This record gives sequence, structure tokens and C-alpha cells, in this order.
Amino acid sequence: MSTRAHVLRWSAWSPHLEDRAAWESWAQAPAPLAAEGHPDAAFLPAMLRRRCTPLTRLVLTAAFGALADDEQPRVRTVFATRHGSINESIELLHQVVAGERLSPTKFSHTVHNAQAGLFCIAAGNRRASSSLAAGADTFACGWLEALAHLERDPATPVLFVTSDVPLDPTFAVLVKEPPGAYGLGLLLAREGTGPAFDLDLAGRSAPGAKPWPDAAEFLRFLLAGEPRLELGRFGWTRAA
Amino acid sequence: MMVARPPCRLAALGVVNALGGDAEAVWRGLLAGEPSRLSWNDALVPGRRLLVGAVSEPLPEIPAALARYGCRNNALALAALRQIEGPLREAIASRGAARVGVVLGTSTSGVADAEAAFRYQRANGGLDPAFDYAQLEFGGLAAFVAEWLGAGGPAYTLSTACSSGARALASARSLLAMGLCDAMVAGAADTLCGLTTNGFSALQAIGGGVTNPCSRNRSGLMLGEGAAMFLLTPEAGGIQLAGAGESSEAHHMSAPEPSGAGAEAAMRGALVDAGLAPEAIAYLNLHGTGTPLNDAMECQAVARVFGTALPVSSTKPLVGHTLGAAGALEAAFCWLMLERSADGALELPPHYWDGERDPALPDLHLASKGESVRPGAMLRVVTNSFGFGGNNCTLVLERQA
Repeated sequence: MSTRAHVLRWSAWSPHLEDRAAWESWAQAPAPLAAEGHPDAAFLPAMLRRRCTPLTRLVLTAAFGALADDEQPRVRTVFATRHGSINESIELLHQVVAGERLSPTKFSHTVHNAQAGLFCIAAGNRRASSSLAAGADTFACGWLEALAHLERDPATPVLFVTSDVPLDPTFAVLVKEPPGAYGLGLLLAREGTGPAFDLDLAGRSAPGAKPWPDAAEFLRFLLAGEPRLELGRFGWTRAA
Repeated sequence: MMVARPPCRLAALGVVNALGGDAEAVWRGLLAGEPSRLSWNDALVPGRRLLVGAVSEPLPEIPAALARYGCRNNALALAALRQIEGPLREAIASRGAARVGVVLGTSTSGVADAEAAFRYQRANGGLDPAFDYAQLEFGGLAAFVAEWLGAGGPAYTLSTACSSGARALASARSLLAMGLCDAMVAGAADTLCGLTTNGFSALQAIGGGVTNPCSRNRSGLMLGEGAAMFLLTPEAGGIQLAGAGESSEAHHMSAPEPSGAGAEAAMRGALVDAGLAPEAIAYLNLHGTGTPLNDAMECQAVARVFGTALPVSSTKPLVGHTLGAAGALEAAFCWLMLERSADGALELPPHYWDGERDPALPDLHLASKGESVRPGAMLRVVTNSFGFGGNNCTLVLERQA
């Protein structure tokens, strides 16, 4: 059974890296990502945009940037974020501890699949959708979950979006990870014209070896045309 | 032309919830069909007494080497895992640690313990030193289970609100089918906590007393907690995960699409995936939260797909709505039904309610106490899970010889 996926299209955003040309330059001379800033997401309806957290703007910018209009309702989706809406949950946790009443809207927008739900609503998408987290392996496991969707529905492309924003200082002191706010959208399919990659579990690289997030390292690998990438135990081999 | 899916055996099950701390207690409680294990809680929502499905058994201690994962949610997971520790260790030994993966679901992870850490912070000025971010981050559940077991394959946590646990089983099955893993731990755990009880209370989704699904008097859900953990292997026989169907609703962040189109798509998708006609199903476990909107849309969708003769029940009056764990727990209830069936007869968990039909809903066949069916063919059952953000997952389980 195949663990191959073609990258049909990609879209990425990080502060100061806001278009393809900027990422192509970055891939030639990669450096840590900036942590401050988020996209304006002007394509979203004003009502929705007003309520968007920085993470939601990153996710939706990366998601819609990787899709043609007619693809928006037709893809399956996988959203991988290590921290999700935890920064927003902190406010709610303080309110819970203080015995204050929660805002029902804020509560329903801090679930881990909040961005998935908002994407499906904005895109009119009724296909299967996963949201996940896997600590330092979040990027690789998101790719794997996208493969799992291709396994059960090989004919439907999967939009894989991975995104995170810097963790609130309350918890940031407890977590060691490269800095950066980013969103990466990859449109993956079993068949297609883009470069294809086979995933394996034979990776031997030290996790977190690079000073930028795994998602950015994958994009660098994609743009550099290199034959193999290892992130921890996960390996990607470019198909001939 | 449908290609037959590779087999996916649900080879072993550990389970804990309000009904009890092992499969036998849970099975007896399901058949008894009485919400006698629920408890009142004054501490979760200020000024409100809530009836909840809390786990009352003492939970195992997290081993000292894994102390950073020490939270109630992981203790619930461990309580379920220890029931199947033998088969899990055997899978590691026979298949190799690197070939065993973990896909779990949760909607709360260790947020109950984060609340305790914040309480400590209010009193002492800094977070409780016993708190670690690994307890709170969603990925922590799968990481804890993988480390406890020594499983070296991929480990991740799905969190799609109340469909998380069902979705974890569907994804674990795909990892086996891809040949990346030779055994999977899949399931879910969720914990009663202030965040979800206050959040659902703010959404006015929590009813009074025992939840009363499908009744004209239904007033909302009742929360619970628990865990169900399965060992999955790519083998035929036994009890199979025969199908999974998924859909999104593109409708609303916290309310289901009222026609039930999303629920219907998930059920039809699961039947197509399993290669089965609706008539092949002997029982359906409803999502059945007891909220006015869920039950209305779900009953319509079930009636459209299966008609009104199929026996169905909601088991949430017995254990509460365990949120992200519900999909795995209700798959566990289906598994227990199939595993304990004898001579082709399937004993059904009864639908506990006040018996007051809602004239606006299709007249579904709600299973009564002591009811059993004898489908005369392979035993197959279905379970529905529908989550916030419009995220639906339906599973088909089947007992092979």
C-alpha cells in the first residue's frame, strides 16, 4: 500500500515571508522565522475576519492560498497545530478559576478543530476533516494523517494545513521549540503533476535539529529539490 | 467497483467510565440500563448543581518516570490500558516496538489539571511546579501512551471535539492498511473539568438531571468522563472495524445542521466504506446527546438512512456525554455487544428516557430493557459521533466467526 503523495500546490505565510518569491529566497538562505505578525486575510468576510485569532488568520490564509476556487468544497482537510487555540484558552481558564461566566462564542472557538470548522464554513466544504496535535512531531503526523485520508479515499485530494503561533509566556517557559509564527498549506493527492514523496519511518535525525519549525524545513526541502528529508523518525524520499 | 478493505481487527478493549472500571462492569451496567452511577457535582459550575457521569473508581498512578504526563486524563487512559496490558505488551514483543503506533482522541487533554495549576497560581503567584505543558497539550495523550507502552511508531492525538474518539479508530485503521504499522493503540480519553462544563453551560447545552434523548421533554446534555482503548491489528476474524464514514457540515461552530444532512452523509459513507446495505445493520448507537437540536437532526437522518425499524439507543443517559471520548466509548459498547453475543443473538443496551415521544421526530425503534435481536446473518452494528464545528464520524463494527 502506498505512502506516496504528490504536492499539487503549496501556500505559506510567516511575518516578512508573505509570498512565493520571499519563500524561494528564504529557502536559499534559511533563517529563524519571525514571531510577531499575522496576515490580514482580506479575502475573508469582514464578520468572520473580525473574530479571527492570529492562528485562525494564518490557517485560513495558508488554506485558501493552496486551493483554486473550485477546489475549496471538494478536498478533504487535515489541520495540524501543536498548540491550537491554547493562548485563547488561557483567558478562559483564568475565568473558570475565578468563577466567572464564559463567553459561549469564545468557548466554541477554542476547540482544537475551531479553524477546521471555520474553514469548512468559509469554503462550503462538507468533506472529512481531521485536526490533530503531536508535540514536536506535529508536522510529520499531520502529513501522516493526510496519507490516512488518501488511504481511505484515494480519489480526493487532501488539503494539509499546519500552523502555530508563539505560545503565551505562561506556558512558553515550559516548552523548547524554534520560534516563529507560520502557516503552511499543502494540497496533497495520490496522483498528479507536482513532486511526489514517499513517507517512511526510517528517519534517524535528531528531532528539532533546525532553528525553524518542521513545516518550514519541509518547505525548504521541497523548494531545494533535495532527494531526502528526515525529521526525527520520519523520512520523506522524493520519487523519481 | 469497490475494492475490499484490508481487515482491521479490534483485538482487545480496555474501558472505564461512570458504569465501572472494567469491561465486565460496563457491560452489566449497559444491560441494566439504569442511570444509577451518576453523581451530583456542585464544584464545576458556580451556582449550579450538575448531574455528571464521573468515574468513581480510584485511578492508577502515573509511573514516576512519566510524571510530567501526570494528569487525570492520562490516568483515565492508563486505567483502560492496564486492562489490556498483556495483549499490548505481546504486540510490542511480537511485532517490534517501532511497528506499533498510537492514535488517540481527546477534547480536554489535561485541562482539569491546568485549572488546578491556575488555582495554585492565584494563591501562590506561580504555576504549580508539578504542572507540565505535556499534561495540557493535545499531543500529550498519545505521547504518554506511546512512552508508557514503549511503542516507537507514530503517535498523535486527534481532537475534533465529540467525534475525536471515533475518528482515532478510523485513522488507526488507515495506518495499518498503509503498512506503516503492524499494531495500533487507538481510542480516547476525556475528563470532567471546569472549562467544558462552564463552556457547555454558557452555551445553554446542559439540561437538568439525567439526559433524556429523543423525548419531547429533552432539555440538554449531561457531561461525563471516561476512556476506551483498543488494540488494533491488521488481521481478519474476531470483531472488525468494518467501515468509517466522515463528513463536515459547513454550517455552524456549535450547532448541527438542522436537516441532519451531515449526519446522513457520515452514515451513508460508513455503509459504502463497509460495502453494506442499511439492512445489514442490526443496531445503531445514537450520538443521542439529548439536546433539542442534535436529537431532532439525528433522528431524521437515521430514519432516512435506516428507516424506523432498526433498533437504536443512546447510552449517554448511563455514562454522560464524554465528549472526545464518546466515539471510542460507544464503539467500545458496540464491541462488548458483539463480543458477548451468543448463538447469533445480540443483547441491546436499552434507551433510558421518560418514554415521552416527540411528535416532531420520526418514530425510531428505541431499544427497551431486555431486548435482543437475532439478525440471522453476520452481526453488524453502527455508532454515530457528531462534534462541534460540524465534524461527524460514523463507524461500522462487525463480528466475524
